[in-house]
Amino acid sequence: MATVQQLLEKFHEVASSPQKQKEYYLKEGKKVVACVPIYTPEEIIHSMGMIPMGTWGADVEVKEAKRYFPAFICSIMQSVLELGINGKYKGVSAIVIPYLCDSLMGLGENWKMAVPDIPFIPMQYPQNRKPEYGIEFTKQAYLRVIRDLENITGAKFSEDNLKKSCDIYNAHNKAMREISSILANHPEISAVNRKDIFKSAYFMEKEEHTRLVNELIALLKAQPKQDNNKIKIVTSGILADSENLLKIIDDNNMQIVADDVAHESRQYRVDVPVDGAPLDNLAKKFSAMDHCSVLYDVDKKRADYIVNLAKQYNAKGVIVILTKFCDPEEYDYPILKGAFDKANLPSTLIEVDRQMVNYEQAKTNIQTFREVLEY
Amino acid sequence: MSEEVKAAPKKEVDPNSAKARLGKIIEDHYNNLWVAKEKGEKIGWCASNFPQEIWQTLGLTVCYPENQAAAIAARGAGAKCCETAEANGYSNDICAYARISLAYTELKDVPEQNMPQPDYMLCCNNICNQMIKWYENIAKKLNIPMIMIDIPFNPDYKVSKEQISYVKGQFLDAIKQLEEITGKKWSDERFKEVMEISNRTSRAWLKATSYCKYEPSPLNGFDLLNHMAVAVCARGTVEAAEAFEKLAEEYEESVKEGKSTFRAEEKYRIMFEGIACWPHLRFTATELKSRGMNMVATIYADAFGFIYDDFDGLIEAYCSVPNSINLEKSRDKRVQIVKNNGAKGLLVHTNRSCKLWSGFMYEMSRQIGEVCDIPVTSFDGDQADPRNFSEAQYATRVQGLMEVMEARKGGK
Amino acid sequence: MYTLGIDIGSTTSKCVILEDGSKIIAKSLVQAGTGTDGPERAYNEILDASKLKKEDIAHIVATGYGRAIYTSANADMSELSCHAKGVHFLFPDVRTIIDIGGQDAKVIRLNQQGIIDSFLMNDKCAAGTGRFLDVMANILQISINELEVYASKADNPVKISSTCTVFAESEVISQLAKGVTIENVVAGICESVASRVAALAKRNRVEEKVYMSGGVAQNAGVRNALAKELGTEILFSEYSQYMGALGAAIAAYEKWRKETGGKDHE
Repeated sequence: MATVQQLLEKFHEVASSPQKQKEYYLKEGKKVVACVPIYTPEEIIHSMGMIPMGTWGADVEVKEAKRYFPAFICSIMQSVLELGINGKYKGVSAIVIPYLCDSLMGLGENWKMAVPDIPFIPMQYPQNRKPEYGIEFTKQAYLRVIRDLENITGAKFSEDNLKKSCDIYNAHNKAMREISSILANHPEISAVNRKDIFKSAYFMEKEEHTRLVNELIALLKAQPKQDNNKIKIVTSGILADSENLLKIIDDNNMQIVADDVAHESRQYRVDVPVDGAPLDNLAKKFSAMDHCSVLYDVDKKRADYIVNLAKQYNAKGVIVILTKFCDPEEYDYPILKGAFDKANLPSTLIEVDRQMVNYEQAKTNIQTFREVLEY
Repeated sequence: MSEEVKAAPKKEVDPNSAKARLGKIIEDHYNNLWVAKEKGEKIGWCASNFPQEIWQTLGLTVCYPENQAAAIAARGAGAKCCETAEANGYSNDICAYARISLAYTELKDVPEQNMPQPDYMLCCNNICNQMIKWYENIAKKLNIPMIMIDIPFNPDYKVSKEQISYVKGQFLDAIKQLEEITGKKWSDERFKEVMEISNRTSRAWLKATSYCKYEPSPLNGFDLLNHMAVAVCARGTVEAAEAFEKLAEEYEESVKEGKSTFRAEEKYRIMFEGIACWPHLRFTATELKSRGMNMVATIYADAFGFIYDDFDGLIEAYCSVPNSINLEKSRDKRVQIVKNNGAKGLLVHTNRSCKLWSGFMYEMSRQIGEVCDIPVTSFDGDQADPRNFSEAQYATRVQGLMEVMEARKGGK
Repeated sequence: MYTLGIDIGSTTSKCVILEDGSKIIAKSLVQAGTGTDGPERAYNEILDASKLKKEDIAHIVATGYGRAIYTSANADMSELSCHAKGVHFLFPDVRTIIDIGGQDAKVIRLNQQGIIDSFLMNDKCAAGTGRFLDVMANILQISINELEVYASKADNPVKISSTCTVFAESEVISQLAKGVTIENVVAGICESVASRVAALAKRNRVEEKVYMSGGVAQNAGVRNALAKELGTEILFSEYSQYMGALGAAIAAYEKWRKETGGKDHE
């Protein structure tokens, strides 16, 4: 059995080499399907025997994508398109793009022209996802994804296989929730390590990732309880995978004890129901999802959700990591801030993007926040 | 060259003219709001492409934050309102209409265009998803109900039957919710009547806008930007239908008499793409007019022309508004407009407020330019935040477009 | 005992020496910032001025952009905390601090004890920072220190409304092309920076009294425009530029006391 260190290294390796992972699966004769944020029905792709790979862009300079996007479109979309144009997704059978925000729509529409050799499959999620007609619409949209996948790849869909995949995904959800929770008691696992655990999930077969995460959970559970003098914080935002940024959090003796990050825990909060027809269940899973800036919620329950998360894990503050030009998050921010203030929960706001070269402001910001929390 | 201003006696506007009628409809619209509010009626704030047939049938009183924001911006208070929203924590990256509207729930008095505060929100995201967040935030802040008709952006050319049945389900739900909120009752008979009137108005609007195809055009295309407000807020009324019919008549006459509201020689015919740059409307219009460039083509004609035969048709029409259709269909619609109206150049507003519209505009305008073989240029601006626009850039781009159009004239 | 604070900014280096955490005995300023010999020069200058030797300094805290790479310090602290400490030390009534630095604009709100209640920094656009003023001064081919002089002579400041630096640049150029005087353009630039920073300040809620620290505080053009935007008086002093260094010297004293339990060294 591997040690904690070895496991962390493995997560790090996978998290930092999506290209290699893609090549590996392709060599194994598997088909890979790119999945764009925020949510896609990965279970379906998995059930059809393919590898769904998360495609959240990368910290690269945007050049080619500027032909398609004006500067004020978020850097996640810009960099996904950039990588697509530059052939970084070569070999991928298709890309699934969910139309959950205006910029994602721009990405899908541009993709058809900019990267014609990788077929684009739209995933039309409903915003009124809770009533019967909303669940039905989700199901119909899934059927469309299935049809497209069958046509493009020749793979076949079956409800039986979907059932198995949903179980595998539920097990993975459970493992991810558990590891996040356990890490709160393990200050020695850095923010960078934590990111690797979450990020690697996008580039591995879920069974394998679940196995590794469960191994890590077992090892950590077996360890004696550690002293923890780190400052506990909760992170919130769309994406927080920048090592430069996370290192600043680590350097300031802070520990992420829970997160409301779309790229991390937001993915794992809700399971597919078990009883009933698998595809219906998958649609019901989406209808049960909440607490997210791209999912309609007039009550804005997300704000209190984060406050409670902080309370539950004894966090002293929240770092809001705002991806520049992400309008759903920008609209939520004043409401979140209001809820934090009301709960006397200190918070700070850091704007990030995928073209960040200068982290000085983030450094000053986080250091000041630490000084405020320590006082 | 300064325009010579003759001290012509100010002409009394004929109260029967389309312009006067359209003006009165807007005036009445705002007046009625206050009367209704006073009477204790509940006021709704409504998204521009929310199926107006619903509230019209129920006899509700609603107003349009988008119209209000445009008016506020055009009258010079856009920056003030945007800054208020920003002071409340909103990023200056979000839609300026939304910022103005969010600010208005706090300022409550903006003399440039006042309207009553809302008792409920009517949201429809067939123009963009920011709409949802904007309305959510107001509903949350004021603790009022929000009715949400979700019309997803359609990645396909045709509207699927699945989408129609999804939207239909919401449509019926919205009626139920509104009956509960307002105590008003739905009548199928009245619904039929409203659908008829709305179609009549839409037909008249489309007819009036179609006069742009004449050379020279009997109207300055920028006129439509003003008239549009009526198409948004009063489509289901006989007054609006009559006013647009009158407008079409007037254009018909102007064509015969060779007159035009474009007060310059029409040397170049262009399509203007995107929402108007309201805070700089005069500048953007004058720069075109002074060069003899008339806007004879705009997607706005289509945007508020809802023609349908029945309930399903109505739903399909709302699923096919310009901002909810894919690149290919958006392109084809515009190509058709350019061809029908004989536009020889395309001027594109890269609108910082509108991520959806601007998000695939570069590619779409390239394709339009190629298919129609016309020059294309774009400028950076904003529909309501005056701080995102540069006069010098605009003037240079417009002049460039004109020069290319001129050169092409010579070559052919 | 003596403690020293050093504030290493992007364009300047400042030092302050405190005696027993309560008395300022010397300060120095060098027009060269991080990555240059500025910090060393400022350090040597202050030792000369105070007639102290290296060994006399019990504790050094560094702040500013170059704080992390300055190896002679015992510790480093963010400039926000330092400005808060410095301003509270000299002006205990102040509740809001505005600091327009070269790279960042910051707004800090303090409670009665001088502890930071909340703070906010500018967004990624540079239009409200000292850097913006640098760029504009460069276009106008005047020095940054002259901005104030020009602004004071304006009779009809132009409105520079663009939030984007590139657009603002084009606005400035087109105003000059129209024949607007350089004085009125400069005043417009100052007002534009003030308006951006005021928006930031309002986001953080402005409580009186308001103090302006940092180099731009000396620029009356910006300061007065900011006062107008916020509708409140803006305090500043000859120490405005030294607040970061002063706060660092105070922090050095606090850290020294904590570490030694208040016993004098040696």
